[in-house]
Amino acid sequence: MMKAGPSQEEIRRQNLSTLLRHIHLGGPASRAVLADRMGLNRSTIMALVTELTTAGLVREELPRETRRAGRPSLVVRPESVSRYVFAFDVGVDYLAAARIGLGGAFLDHRETVAPRIGLHPGETAATLAGFAAEMRDTAPPDAVCVGAGAAVRGMVRHPDGLVRSAFNIGWTEEEFGENLTRRLGLGLPVLLDNESNLGALAEHRRGAGVGYQDLVYLHGDIGIGGGVISGGRLLRGHSGYGGEVGHMLVNPRDGRPCSCGSRGCLEAEAGQDALLEAARRPVGAATGRAGIRGVIDAADRGDVTARAALHTVGDWLAVGIVNLINLYNPALIIFGGTLPDIYLGTAAHIRSRVNTHALPASREVARFRICRLGDRTLLTGAAELAFTHLLSDPLAHALPAPGGS
Amino acid sequence: MTVTPILELRGIDKSFGPVQVLHDVAFSAYPGEVTALVGDNGAGKSTLVKCIGGIHSFDAGEYLFEGERVQVNGPRDAAALGVEIVYQDLALCDNLDIVQNMFLGREKRRGPILDEATMEEMAARTLAGLSVRTVKSVRQQVSHLSGGQRQTVAIAKAVLWNGKVVILDEPTAALGVAQTAQVLELVRRLADNGLTVVLISHNLNDVFAVSDRIAALYLGRMAAQVRTTDVTQSQVVELITSGRSGDLGLATTNGATA
Repeated sequence: MMKAGPSQEEIRRQNLSTLLRHIHLGGPASRAVLADRMGLNRSTIMALVTELTTAGLVREELPRETRRAGRPSLVVRPESVSRYVFAFDVGVDYLAAARIGLGGAFLDHRETVAPRIGLHPGETAATLAGFAAEMRDTAPPDAVCVGAGAAVRGMVRHPDGLVRSAFNIGWTEEEFGENLTRRLGLGLPVLLDNESNLGALAEHRRGAGVGYQDLVYLHGDIGIGGGVISGGRLLRGHSGYGGEVGHMLVNPRDGRPCSCGSRGCLEAEAGQDALLEAARRPVGAATGRAGIRGVIDAADRGDVTARAALHTVGDWLAVGIVNLINLYNPALIIFGGTLPDIYLGTAAHIRSRVNTHALPASREVARFRICRLGDRTLLTGAAELAFTHLLSDPLAHALPAPGGS
Repeated sequence: MTVTPILELRGIDKSFGPVQVLHDVAFSAYPGEVTALVGDNGAGKSTLVKCIGGIHSFDAGEYLFEGERVQVNGPRDAAALGVEIVYQDLALCDNLDIVQNMFLGREKRRGPILDEATMEEMAARTLAGLSVRTVKSVRQQVSHLSGGQRQTVAIAKAVLWNGKVVILDEPTAALGVAQTAQVLELVRRLADNGLTVVLISHNLNDVFAVSDRIAALYLGRMAAQVRTTDVTQSQVVELITSGRSGDLGLATTNGATA
């Protein structure tokens, strides 16, 4: 039987979704610009904008400033104050939450330090739900939450969000998403994904990777994670566990033990612990970013132990990057978390290794960049995940316009 | 990929009295790229940059800008082409604020009075265009800024004046780890925004982190100009210290470039 073409209804939904996506990611734009970008005529755009306005998702205003003569045309803006999502970041040693508006604006933010070991899932969910409740109380009365997303340091099953294993915080088979959803009580499911996948998504949509369809995002904190975007799409694998770059085996024979039970994984050889240990940092000295910067600073001053440590870690990191370049032919490798510091501290070493070992044809096009969203990368990614449903079918998930009905 | 260099020097010779400091130097810089200029002390980096900036005239050679032969007889000519140099000492006035520094000597006027509002807006827009978030107010005095922020202001000043080619002389010397990262990120963003950046640096980590090409000077000669994806740290060190590395570099120490 012949497959029927998409119905009018489907086309309309598709167009609304595309238009909202343009406004959400590209920022305010006039109808004429939107018509041009979407390749639709102006009257269609007008009808679509009207629908989204009625749904309370966008609004039309005069531009704040204009440099041209004549009557300025109206600009379509996202309702960034009254339509928001909750974004959560479950770090290894911190918890963060943010209220992020349509269009990507950070409206509110909460953060706390968590113990590195013994981050109980229930307590974690309670803390994050507490943050969300606080932020909801301070939000304007007509503001509406349209989604929630969370970044977790672990293997997250796609699409149901079961945390299969999170080695660095000791979780296994944890239905964390459901737990958090219940505690939030928003009537909306909390979507979960691996932190580096969300980092890749964030940098791809709003950061250093805008305009690139093929990139690898590497995230460093206690471990190392990776997210691969190929042809504009996140590679997830069969059940969502793909892109576990940190557990790429690089040194199986005499490698350091890894939190996953194996030895010689990339994160065991090039992670924070490996660096601090190789630099023989005294017990009780700073860890995290401060610890890493301490090592780089010492190396800059000529400390040979620190320099050797950076070389060793840089070498292993380069092994991982060589494999990624050869496998995925990315146009961009983005360093996030604590990796920007390590990269800048040992770039000559990393680049030399890559130049020696990676395939020339792939290596020539691979640019190395620092994440542009900085400390906000993961929360931004979690927010993008949270907006997924709204963006794919704006009217089904929208609520009446603020103040209306 | 054959992109025309925006800035190209060919066969540059320069002597100070009996001392010849540049021998037949060729140098190119491309839009959207960071070209690192490396070399030992006394290799001629500063002299080359001063020739590009019109501070020194050269004895022989050609200066091409956007493919056209040009005469650069002074810093004003270079500035008119869109070549801006940010020197190591930054040349910022401590007792003035950011806006005053950025417009120093080129103030905008409305009739007889200074147009502070426009200057402030332009300064703020330039900093925002470079995604600079570390500077809180453009009315802060420069003496209150950190080393990294000063560097940022000096670079923004170059961009403000429509710099097409921005030459940075050791921008990260004397900066801490965090501030170095900030400045390097800015350097990279200038190029990603389409500008041509020439970075003079002694720090090979900085060079490898942000550059697309590396030009190595050795005793007044251009030993090699290579793509950063094609060389290793040790090759660059060899080019700097001995003028050659394998089949890269000068054929003999007094021959032409290979």
